[in-house]
Amino acid sequence: MSKTVRCAAAALALLTAPAFAAGDGEAGRLKANTCMGCHGIPGYTNAYPTYRVPKLGGQSADYLAAALKAYKSGERPHLTMRAQAANLSDQDIADIATFLAAVPEKK
Amino acid sequence: MRTPLLFAACAALLVAAPAIAGDDKVPEMVTTCAACHGADGKATQPIYPHLAGQYANYLEQALREYRSGARKNPIMAGQAAALTDDEIHELAAHYAKQAGQLHTPDVHAAAPKAAAH
Repeated sequence: MSKTVRCAAAALALLTAPAFAAGDGEAGRLKANTCMGCHGIPGYTNAYPTYRVPKLGGQSADYLAAALKAYKSGERPHLTMRAQAANLSDQDIADIATFLAAVPEKK
Repeated sequence: MRTPLLFAACAALLVAAPAIAGDDKVPEMVTTCAACHGADGKATQPIYPHLAGQYANYLEQALREYRSGARKNPIMAGQAAALTDDEIHELAAHYAKQAGQLHTPDVHAAAPKAAAH
C-alpha cells in the first residue's frame, strides 16, 4: 500500500470514526421509554402547531443521533425535545439511536 | 352504514386531491432532494433521514422550520429558502406516500437480539 493511500485511509478513519459512539440497543430500549409517550403512539399529534410526531422506528441511527444532538445544542427549536435531550450523554444518544433504528413495529 | 361510507369517501378525496394536483411539478423538485434522501425517500447515506412514509405534516413542519431558520442546518436552509407553501405541501405529500421502512416503535416488544417469551 502506498504512503498516499495509507495517509488517505487514516484521514478517512479520522473523519468518520469520532462522529458517533457505538450504541447498545438493549440499553437504548430502556432509555427510550420516555420517548414512547409521544413517539410510541401511531398518529400522535403535536399541538401548536399541529402536526404528527415523526415515526422514528427504522430511521437511520446516525440521523437520529444527529437530531438528538441538535436538540441538545438548540439547533432544533422544539422545546419539549430540547428538554428531553438536554441531559442525554453521547452514550445515551447512541444507545437510543441504535435501538430506534432496529426496533420492531408497533402493531 | 351509508353515512360513514360517504364520509370516508369524502375524506379520502380531500386527502388525495392536493397530492394529485401537485404531481406534475413534484418530480422536478424531487431530483434535488433525491441526491441525499432518494427519489423514493430512502436516504443515500446514514446521516440523512429516510423520508418515505413519514407523516406529511411533520415533513411540512420540518421544511417550514428550515425555511424560517428556526431549525438550523446549512444544507437544508439553502434548499428550503426558495420553496413556496404549495411546494412544501407537495414535496411532503410526495414523500409521505412512498412505501418505506419508517414505523411507530414498539418499546415493549423484545429487542431484536433478546429472546422471545
